Amino acid sequence: MTDPILNVVGLNKHFGGIRVTRELNISISRGAKEAIIGPNGAGKSTLFNLLTGYHRPESGTIVFEGNDITNWATHQIAHAGISRAFQISNIFTRLTVLENVRTAVHVRMGKAGNIFASAQRIGTTETEKILKRCHLVEKSSHIAGELAQGDKKKLELAIALAGKPRLLLLDEPTAGMSFEETRETMTLVDKLNDDLGLSVLFTEHDMAVVFNHAQRVSLLHRGEIIVEGTPEEVRRDEMAQRVYLGEHH
Amino acid sequence: MNLENSATQTTDTRRKPMGMLSVRVLALLFVVFLAAPAVLGEFWVEVATEILILGLFAMSFNLIYGYMGQISFGHAAFFGLGAYATAMLFREFTGGTEEISYLQFFVSLAAGIPLAAFGALLVGYFCIRLTGIYFAILTLAFGELLFFVVFSWYSFTGGDDGIQRLLPPPLFRDPVMYYYLCFVIVIAAMAVMWRIVHSPFGYLLRAMRDNQERTRFLGINTRIYMLINFVIAGSFAGLAGALWGPFTRSVAPTLLGWQESGIAVFMTLLGGSAFFAGPMVGSIIYTFLHAWVTGFTQYWPLTIGAIILIIVLFSPGGLLGAIDAWRRIRTRQGSSGVADNTLVKEEPDS
Repeated sequence: MTDPILNVVGLNKHFGGIRVTRELNISISRGAKEAIIGPNGAGKSTLFNLLTGYHRPESGTIVFEGNDITNWATHQIAHAGISRAFQISNIFTRLTVLENVRTAVHVRMGKAGNIFASAQRIGTTETEKILKRCHLVEKSSHIAGELAQGDKKKLELAIALAGKPRLLLLDEPTAGMSFEETRETMTLVDKLNDDLGLSVLFTEHDMAVVFNHAQRVSLLHRGEIIVEGTPEEVRRDEMAQRVYLGEHH
Repeated sequence: MNLENSATQTTDTRRKPMGMLSVRVLALLFVVFLAAPAVLGEFWVEVATEILILGLFAMSFNLIYGYMGQISFGHAAFFGLGAYATAMLFREFTGGTEEISYLQFFVSLAAGIPLAAFGALLVGYFCIRLTGIYFAILTLAFGELLFFVVFSWYSFTGGDDGIQRLLPPPLFRDPVMYYYLCFVIVIAAMAVMWRIVHSPFGYLLRAMRDNQERTRFLGINTRIYMLINFVIAGSFAGLAGALWGPFTRSVAPTLLGWQESGIAVFMTLLGGSAFFAGPMVGSIIYTFLHAWVTGFTQYWPLTIGAIILIIVLFSPGGLLGAIDAWRRIRTRQGSSGVADNTLVKEEPDS
């Protein structure tokens, strides 16, 4: 755990009387590729919501690259270098695929407030690069809201990448994808991690994806990380078998 | 799973060459409006002037509605503020006479923009904290508040008497000349607006319309950008308002009222909010019908009510939306499913 890019200590969050996150600690090394697994309602999405400023924790701290971002607003955290792709695709439905990505590129370039320039002339190269990387070139002039589910998820990832993040949070990146698309997407995630050194934290229900692609795995159960280690360690852990993995094998 | 996916993927979701619609409509309108005074009598030239001014007002409203996805029921406040800024400067310059120099005239017109922008900044500061119905209601409340201030402040605004005798300098007293003045200004304003909606900022507005939450995750402080757009929209409304006073030779507090705001909403729905030219087309329909129908019946509200009803029920995309849909069907039949690739890249709903 040298040089953690993200360090979360003692995070707590309640919704009404329900504790969705309790004394949660997690540390992500720079350049790591980690998975968070756990049953439905374990608090995976809540954790992502806390990390991205969508929810505020009651206590605990979130430190990203040395900055305490615990109470930062969502847009500030995005600027700091954390991008997020959503579980249920969360795209700009009436824009084309290209416009979706290009707008995200403009925001990242700090050009979103540019009122008089032509949008078509800014960030085009970068946009095309991302579309290519995400296998969306052929769909670039399609309206996003009319895409097939798998393509929507690819676009979801493309938008997140446009932010040139240093930490990428992926909430079930392959949900709703075909076998082929899943393979394509996870190959891309591996490549981003290997080639660009992008730190990745992802949640996933598909254990094959988790054990083939994550370097480390954390098991979240009732708002707590109860097991943590390499995929092999977690797979063999008795507790992990009992609360989660058992039902998958 | 694979089969299912490939099946959905073959469904053609490529953008049809509909983006050209606004461009074609605008080109056609440009020619028609340029030549109109040659064939129209004085009455219809004045109707055409009204179309241009109210069309600009409606287009400014559509920056908030069609592009940003929020509905304002108080947009006339900025139209009215622009009109009053011009009228009150007029009053100062003429000092009871009916003479105003050309310089003073243009200074008065220009004054409409900053005052409306300032008003939009104040009102917008509060309204952009909310979205949806709450945004709509708050804009309505502020609009009515400003209406009431203007309505009651006799010593400053003239109260419900308004301000009369706003006679432009000699050249522009001729309806045709005033028409061309408006034509030039409205065209220039539309060119600036076109620029704005095709800028990165313009696309960010559309993104906020589609999914405001996601724009925050991109790193956008949505309130600031909403406020900027609110001020831009208010400024264009102010310019439209500035042209209104010298056109009708008077201003009245009702220019700020909710009924005036409603006109912008009607026009936008009639023409099609998804199109850049939509509100201007709506203004043509609305203003023409108003001039024509009130010539033989007093049941104007009934008439426009029925038309809005038909539009909302049968063509929620407005007139341009209907043409767009018709062209889509025709393209599909004519080319048996092969999209017109040469035009696919054109802008969509703009």
